[in-house]
Amino acid sequence: MDYVLQQLLNALAFGAEYSLVALGLAVVFSIMGLVNFAHGEIIGVSAYSVFLAAALGLTSPIVAVLLAIAAAALAAVIFERVAFRPVRYAPTTTGLLTAFGVSIVVQNLFMLLISPKPQSVSILNGLNQMWFFGPFAVSSLQVMELVVAGLTILALVLFLNRSTLGLAIRAASRDFATVRLMGIRANRVIATAFAISGALAGIAAVFIIARRGSVSPDLGFSLVLKAFVACVIGGFGSLPGAAAGGMLLGFIEVGLLVALPQEYGGFKDALSYVIIVTLLVYRPEGLLGQRVELGDKEI
Amino acid sequence: MSHSVEKIMSPAAGRVVQPDRLLVRSLVGGLVTSLPVLVLGLLVLNLAPTYYTYLALAAFVNLIVVVGLQVFMGNSNIANLGHSAFVGLGAYGVAVLSTPLAMKKLSIPHAPFGFATLQLDPFSAALVALLAVGIVAAVSGKVISRLSGVAATIVSLALLIIVHSVFLNWTDLFKGNQAFFGIPKVVGLPWMMVLSVVVIVLARLFKDSRWGLQLRASAQSPQAAAALGIDARRLRLMAWILSALICGLAGVLYAYFAGTISPKLFYFQQIFITLAMLILGGMATVTGAVTGVIVLSVGLEFIRSIESGVTIAGIQLPQLLGLSGVALGVVIVLCMAFRPGGISGRYELDEQLSRLLRRSA
Repeated sequence: MDYVLQQLLNALAFGAEYSLVALGLAVVFSIMGLVNFAHGEIIGVSAYSVFLAAALGLTSPIVAVLLAIAAAALAAVIFERVAFRPVRYAPTTTGLLTAFGVSIVVQNLFMLLISPKPQSVSILNGLNQMWFFGPFAVSSLQVMELVVAGLTILALVLFLNRSTLGLAIRAASRDFATVRLMGIRANRVIATAFAISGALAGIAAVFIIARRGSVSPDLGFSLVLKAFVACVIGGFGSLPGAAAGGMLLGFIEVGLLVALPQEYGGFKDALSYVIIVTLLVYRPEGLLGQRVELGDKEI
Repeated sequence: MSHSVEKIMSPAAGRVVQPDRLLVRSLVGGLVTSLPVLVLGLLVLNLAPTYYTYLALAAFVNLIVVVGLQVFMGNSNIANLGHSAFVGLGAYGVAVLSTPLAMKKLSIPHAPFGFATLQLDPFSAALVALLAVGIVAAVSGKVISRLSGVAATIVSLALLIIVHSVFLNWTDLFKGNQAFFGIPKVVGLPWMMVLSVVVIVLARLFKDSRWGLQLRASAQSPQAAAALGIDARRLRLMAWILSALICGLAGVLYAYFAGTISPKLFYFQQIFITLAMLILGGMATVTGAVTGVIVLSVGLEFIRSIESGVTIAGIQLPQLLGLSGVALGVVIVLCMAFRPGGISGRYELDEQLSRLLRRSA
């Protein structure tokens, strides 16, 4: 029983992290159709800012958390301003390749300016403890991950449904041209979407640093690949789809970890991708996605 | 003026031209496109010291990979980020099949399915490896050709990770993270040049063929193409398999000239480099693929020499690891922002030449 609960918590915590990152991707994609491969590097910028601040003498974990989120949001807005604005109305493939290029540049800048080797960051290690609930021992980090992800998604839903800017963002994901005709500034909507996406990445970065205790140039990259897969399986561009896809991926991974014998543990990632690609054979548009009407698509 | 435009446009505009004349035209076009490659190859073959021959061989492998990438990306306009999976499959295929038995006793003594006691000659090993690549491509292509653009790209990435993870973890067959050595070194520069030309001509023939034209049309306007009865899925599948086979051939050739391979050679590093080459050259044309490889191969070699720390005017610069990566990324970003068509744009080399000739005449 204990074991089952532990694995369930594992799956939920993994899923929560994937959902956070996948939501960040989906917010941006739903509005401007950008497949943001540089999302992992936003996580990277956030993590390296915490590393630098700690190296310069920061000791308060709370400040570090706030710094991580702020740095990520700022990085996302800067990426948009510098790299993605020139290709805003370009075809999807152009944006995708641009983002891929940005991702390569930033990853290699970490290598060039800081170090190719992982650097240790211990400032957030305090978040990672064992909590005892009667007979159960659980990792505080996993509980926090789950709670924070839940609260963040709640806040995002409230923002999108209750505020004017949120309404504009939701409308923009349906028909950007009409939103602009209503007198909403395109730049402001897109910058907000990127800031939200960045803040979500920053929250994910906090948990990554707390769990690993170190930063490395590629720390966000593989996570974002998983988040992309979560987006695809949920239906690309759908926010509920991204959250659900992230959770599903978490459950598949933990399920495989439990089911696979120790010596085949290395195949975990490969097998979870195989399962998801097989699902796509039956639902090419994803679980919650809709079949795209190409009829009135702007070229 | 209108006459000349019509002549250039004739294959697309549907003017009645003899089919075999079109075939000859794209055949000649392909040969013209591969001329710079031949010239550079011959120069290296006759003049350059051994170190540069090795570099040239690696550049030729990249050339074949990029041309293979162009076959899918250029015609279907879907970004493919998983082509190195096929390069790796080709290379590991011949490694497992053609490595001498004495070597296998050292490297993979516990290989399953009797591979530990099997040794094919290099040519049949290459054929079997390409067959394996073709099967994997057909299966993955079935899924990818059904998906919309973005989802197809993500699945191509997933394929790369799946294949890489199998190389890493199936240690009995692929030696895992360690280098797989002892593959017979049977390919030199002449073979590489011949096969590069073959591949370039093949890519050009596919692009100009009925299928290539239909695929390019459906990439531009899916609905209009579907209304004309074009089955875009089947065409995407065809392009995917052809592209995979070309990439697989590149892997086979790499294994046969280097003699030693390891999984990390066929992972993101290669994806970055080949993708940047294709984008810089221009992915709409085979000429673009060739141009990008030539320009970036030279450029990267220059940057790598700075990266390892050089002495300029008596000052020893430190090692600048990551510089070539930054350069590759910057090339991609700048190209996409300012010249999405790459260096060569929409026209192949022979088309550009004939336009030039006509203008001066």
